[in-house]
Amino acid sequence: MLRRWPAEPGPFALIARAGNTDRLHCLNAPAEAAGLARGMAAADARALCPGLITRPAAPEAEARFLAMLARWATRWCPWVGLEAPDGIVLDLTGAAHLHGGEAATLDRLRASLARGGITARLGLAGSRGAAWALAHYGTGTDVADGPLAPLPVEALRIDPDTAAGLRRMGLETLGQLMAQPRAPLARRFGPALITRLDQATGDRGEQISPLAEPPHDAVRLTLPEPIGLTDDLRGLTARLLERLCARLAAREAGARSLRLTLRRVDQSDTEVELRLASPMVDPARILPLFDRGIDAVDSGFGIDQLRLQATLVEPMPPRQLTQRGAGQNRARSAALDDLVTRIGNRIGLENVQRLLPADSHIPERAFLRAPFAWSEPAGGWSAPRPRPLRLFPPEPIEAATREPGPHPPHRFRWRRMRLTTLRATGPERIAPEWWLDDPDWRRGLRDYWRIETREGRRLWLYFTPQDPGWFAQGEFA
Amino acid sequence: MTRYAELAVTSNFTFLTGASHPEELMIRAAELGLEAIAITDRNSVAGVVRAFSALKELARMRAEAAAEQPEQAPEIRSQRVTDGASRQSRAPAPAPLAPLETPLPRLIPGARIVLRDSAVDWIALPTDLAAWARLTRLLTLGKRRAEKGQCHLDRRDLLDAAEGMMLIALPPDPLEGWTAAVLADLKQIRARFPATSFLGAAPRYDGRDEARLDRLAAVSQTTGLALVAAGDVLMHRAARRPLADVLTCLREHCTIDRIGRRRLPNGERRLKSGAEMARLFHRFPAALRRSVEIAERCAFRLDDLRYHYPDETRDGEPAQTRLDRLCREGLAWRYPAGASPHISDRVTKELRLIAEMGYAPYFLTVHDIVAAAREKGILAQGRGSAANSVVCYLLGITEVPPDSITLIFERFISKDRGEPPDIDVDFEHERREEVIQWIYERYGRHRAGLTGTVIHFRSRAAIREVGKVMGLSQDVIARLSGQIWGWSAAAPDDARIRDAGIDPADRRIRLAARLIAEIIGFPRHLSQHVGGFVITHGRLDELCPIENAAMEDRTVIEWDKDDIDALGLLKVDILALGMLTAIRKAFGLIADHRGRRYDLASVPAEDPAVYDMLCAADAVGVFQVESRAQLNFLPRMRPRQFYDLVCEVAIVRPGPIQGGMVHPFINRRRGLEPVEDLGPAMMEVLGRTYGVPLFQEQAMQIAVVAAGFTPAEADRLRRSLATFKRMGTIGGFRERFVSGMLSRGYGADFAERCFAQIEGFGSYGFPESHAASFARLVYISAWLKRHHQAIFTCALLNSQPMGFYAPAQLVRDARDRGVEVRPVCINRSDWDCTVEPRPDGALALRLGLRQIRSLREEDARWIVAARGNGYPDVESLWRRAGIRPDALERLAEGDAFAALGLGRRDALWAAKALRAPKPLPLFGAEGEGAREPETALPSMTLGQEVIEDYLSLRLSLRAHPMELLRPRLSETGLTDSLPNDRLPQATGRVVLTGLVITRQRPGTASGVIFLTLEDETGVANVVIWSRIYEAFRRAVIGGRLVRVTGRIERDGPVTHVIAETVEDLTPLLLTLGRPVLIAVNDGRADETRRPAGGSIRSPMHPREQAKAMFRSRDFH
Repeated sequence: MLRRWPAEPGPFALIARAGNTDRLHCLNAPAEAAGLARGMAAADARALCPGLITRPAAPEAEARFLAMLARWATRWCPWVGLEAPDGIVLDLTGAAHLHGGEAATLDRLRASLARGGITARLGLAGSRGAAWALAHYGTGTDVADGPLAPLPVEALRIDPDTAAGLRRMGLETLGQLMAQPRAPLARRFGPALITRLDQATGDRGEQISPLAEPPHDAVRLTLPEPIGLTDDLRGLTARLLERLCARLAAREAGARSLRLTLRRVDQSDTEVELRLASPMVDPARILPLFDRGIDAVDSGFGIDQLRLQATLVEPMPPRQLTQRGAGQNRARSAALDDLVTRIGNRIGLENVQRLLPADSHIPERAFLRAPFAWSEPAGGWSAPRPRPLRLFPPEPIEAATREPGPHPPHRFRWRRMRLTTLRATGPERIAPEWWLDDPDWRRGLRDYWRIETREGRRLWLYFTPQDPGWFAQGEFA
Repeated sequence: MTRYAELAVTSNFTFLTGASHPEELMIRAAELGLEAIAITDRNSVAGVVRAFSALKELARMRAEAAAEQPEQAPEIRSQRVTDGASRQSRAPAPAPLAPLETPLPRLIPGARIVLRDSAVDWIALPTDLAAWARLTRLLTLGKRRAEKGQCHLDRRDLLDAAEGMMLIALPPDPLEGWTAAVLADLKQIRARFPATSFLGAAPRYDGRDEARLDRLAAVSQTTGLALVAAGDVLMHRAARRPLADVLTCLREHCTIDRIGRRRLPNGERRLKSGAEMARLFHRFPAALRRSVEIAERCAFRLDDLRYHYPDETRDGEPAQTRLDRLCREGLAWRYPAGASPHISDRVTKELRLIAEMGYAPYFLTVHDIVAAAREKGILAQGRGSAANSVVCYLLGITEVPPDSITLIFERFISKDRGEPPDIDVDFEHERREEVIQWIYERYGRHRAGLTGTVIHFRSRAAIREVGKVMGLSQDVIARLSGQIWGWSAAAPDDARIRDAGIDPADRRIRLAARLIAEIIGFPRHLSQHVGGFVITHGRLDELCPIENAAMEDRTVIEWDKDDIDALGLLKVDILALGMLTAIRKAFGLIADHRGRRYDLASVPAEDPAVYDMLCAADAVGVFQVESRAQLNFLPRMRPRQFYDLVCEVAIVRPGPIQGGMVHPFINRRRGLEPVEDLGPAMMEVLGRTYGVPLFQEQAMQIAVVAAGFTPAEADRLRRSLATFKRMGTIGGFRERFVSGMLSRGYGADFAERCFAQIEGFGSYGFPESHAASFARLVYISAWLKRHHQAIFTCALLNSQPMGFYAPAQLVRDARDRGVEVRPVCINRSDWDCTVEPRPDGALALRLGLRQIRSLREEDARWIVAARGNGYPDVESLWRRAGIRPDALERLAEGDAFAALGLGRRDALWAAKALRAPKPLPLFGAEGEGAREPETALPSMTLGQEVIEDYLSLRLSLRAHPMELLRPRLSETGLTDSLPNDRLPQATGRVVLTGLVITRQRPGTASGVIFLTLEDETGVANVVIWSRIYEAFRRAVIGGRLVRVTGRIERDGPVTHVIAETVEDLTPLLLTLGRPVLIAVNDGRADETRRPAGGSIRSPMHPREQAKAMFRSRDFH
């Protein structure tokens, strides 16, 4: 039962799209007080409560949070499963006495959830079905094994149509349902109802599947004698790398960043960090990249323990190799990755960037810079119109003539150079992106000209007719 | 000035592409002094008539201005210019028209042909009428081939059809690299049409125009296509660039932030003057000159469209002769005792005029359609200005005796205006399709087509779509559009934006608001008119393209009603009316059960008992007068004769209400106020309506009699109000009208009031003949209600959905009148509701299986067919009728097995057991089936039964929910409320509780909301002022069961409650089924109640359930 509190107090709701309409997915107490309810159409909700603030729901984030909660819950018992989308289930068998009995466990669980700011409803019973029923339809504070009979039929985890059908028959509570003969019920509502009934009463068992342990991406080596030579260190790192890479390769993953922890005999640690430009599992390629780090290690009185951990792991699905020329390309891009790794480990991997095309008519917004290691090279560069090789922020130029006119000036000064126009091509008219308020474009639309000067420089100038003035923005090679 | 003709213009009738109205383009072209402008939309000519009308209007204004003040340039004079295309007011155009000496630009209608198998677009401009016919046939071919809104054309089609058209190629940008196919396409067309094909060159202003023009010139050399300058225009001014980008986003389904390079890089795709084009084409002056040459070769004008109406010659008998004969026969039929000289004079006069104008075929067409419908047993009734005639009465098109209303000859057909006569015919709504298909069959799809309707952006759509493009959050969009009830064509202004809790100073919001204002009125797509048919003698597709409609078997032309009017095409309106269906069904039931046959003409006239009933405001279900406003009006109006009903129908309309005519009319009629003597001339016009103008004709006559207009001018005034508002000519008329009345000695106040009413009429007015036709139906339905209540209610129920009230109210009304209503029964009910004779001779109403929610008609037919001596149990129904188990459940839910002694739950229990879609041969009671153990289901309370009744049937014969809830009200600590039937005696402050049955917010009542509350004793009318509405908004909009505290207000026999507080008691409805009241849900428990599987769709909040059960009818 996850709730997000917005910064602003007042009615707030998360909205999820179900079919064709937006519906309230989750809401806070003021919103409920305003008469809104889960599952209501968002449009109705807004009509009823004009001040409602809404945000789109993020089911992935909720699932992540639930997984986190489940991991946390393993402190109460080892057997914890997810009850998607919004619950977790704990098998307390044999664990309750550790916390002072079932009732005490429930109290402590509730208290620690409340400390975390989580509103939760709890139920505890001898069967999973009954616990679910109590948590969802009980008082929410029932201590162990509350009575099931007064609960509504929906508490059976049956689909809403079945529940509605039962209600139409006047069978509204579990007590009424249990009093009915089973065969006619099964005939009319299917065996699933009977199964659920049995699961609630505990006549039929139900398993909890606990969460899987996350994989462990680290290997370690303890030495009988301390070592100090760089070559020894390199050799041992190679052995560790081989083991680690084999393990990663087995689950089709590659290391993106590695940490080598070296323990000296005096129990102090030294670390070598390596960040890679692309995920790798080839020990032969990774090892040389460690060289620089290992060279810098101060081994003190000797090192007797090594631990290599892949701190960041990315999936690396196997690729097909048959395409002609692909091998060559691969080799080239691998070499480039290694180069970027080497440079990146000196100046920071973030500082190695590449240019990506961006979709805009505005010259300075027609490209993006992205860190090399975290972006894919993109094609789609289309430059139908000539663009200069170097682009710089607009620099006003001084025209020799007083009045700036729409035609390029014959003589002008730019960066303290006197230039004479030899040939001018243009204009290309680019109007600002009207939906953005870009300070650089406050002067309105621009007429771009390509200017070849007698002095040899080829400049990209523009004129702003709505606020007359001439500027240089780039230089052609 | 350099002469230039713009030949490639995309208007906004290329939906979601062009960013200017054709009118705007036309006016701008006139401002720029262009030689000619061609409107060439993508595979369409839908916009050309708009431009044509604008040109005509410009010419007329200029002629007027020149006549009045020759030395002064004409200016648009009105303060308020209403854009006819966008139906909204805007500031007058800032730029004055081009000076008088430059002639107005010529309009060249054309289309931009986009082919499926070629990258080259071709501008096709017909040079003469024959070429126009070929163009529209070409477009028809492409459109009929494709689904609605699409046009599939190939190179071959163009090659076959382009004879006589000027063809201008618009190839893709040559600098982007051409495929060989492009060149081949150009050469192919050039080889076929060497003298009429050209190569269009459109500058792009992207820095490479010189290179592009050079390249095109080279292409022109190789292909032999001469180069011609073109703008490839998208908008009339560069200021429309943002809107063009928004349209691109709508087309591409992206937001403005993601539009990227799909946006226009600059605003240069606008109309440009000759001088500007000359600068761009300074190296190619011939290309510029050629544009003018091409324009001059396009001699075709839309006026040239020779429209031939079908001649309707039958068996060699010319139309006029046949019409004369039919009228003679009609005289004998309508007036067995011989017609009065007044009538026969009038007939002769009308026939002479019809002969003069050659409209006889039109009347015959309508006559044939009505006669064909009558043969099929479909009721029909005509109205419209031309129906206002004795001829129509004699032909059986209308049923209103001409002596019961005043017929104004000028309104019948006006010789001066050259406007076609107008007859609308209403048919039963369930059977209109038969009439439509009859027309297609009779005239053929190439000769008959439905008129199109242009669907415009209105406020709500504009806010939603532009908001989405501008990246406003769903929230903000919902709040902005949430401020609008129903229909509106105004953009949100600052005040409203602030009301919605949004900062109007925010840049994005401001931009969005501006764009919303701009886009409102833009055509969105083409749809079909409700029933306007255009029929031609020759081929219709040589007049205008025909395309497929969304509905099966319908074909639609591209032009809408206004366009057809502008071109003088004749149109017959085939409309649908629910009440005619109900009346026909009622007549059928009377014939079956009472053995008397009636038709629209033979219902006994002027029955005082009927008027007594209407005076008592007892009119639930009666045509037109059943709305709240009309019900209030009836007791004050006290209709005693047919003409009173005519006035009644006409007065409760936006026109008279806006003109402030309602109160004087009532007061004078009741003698509370003397009828002002306005002089003999005016009294002749207004005498019968107590000096208050009610009908369109009267307004026109006032203009003639009092303000000195000629009849033709008066009619132009009416039309300018209705359709030609865009040019702002109303102001001129107002001056003329008011000064004309003043000079004839009428008061300024009265003159203003008259004009206000004429303005109101512009869009909503009722001509007297319309009102009379409707009043006829009012009378007939009231007569049915008065004398055959059971049959009347039965017919209404079988014609649903129609009218103002839900079945629950109709049934309740019938029971209040003493009709026995019997429940749905598996052994008695048909699909339709039926009437059953009672031992005492009266008729009882048996509800039909159609009342059961989501039961299919086919299943019901099987049940009836296999019934025999009746079904003894659920299983026998399943076996014999062979209906699916889910239909059995629907029947059980509707309590249709009650007559078998099976309660709802028992029947449902039995039905649920039958899960196989078909019975297996050997199982069952006689075969191998085992006996089931007995099941004791909890019995249902009365409240539960009522809820189930409402859930399945939307009505309950058992009890009104309020009857059961009333004791609870005091239990929950709420003060007791007054039963509605004691309202007339109450005074002061009262408390009312009831189900909301209708909710109305009339456009004329400035934000006031009318609620109708129903309880077990009766209904009450609640008026909610906008201030109270703001405070109790939630309860007012969302409440199904509400409690209102307020003051009693009486106006004559009518009682209202003016609300002071409104409480929403809807959750209380859910307690109906409970034996004891349980604590009202605190919401918290509800929040966690989610079904397994985690669907957030399924849990029904109490309010939603109540909504589904006790639906109100909301009218905006």
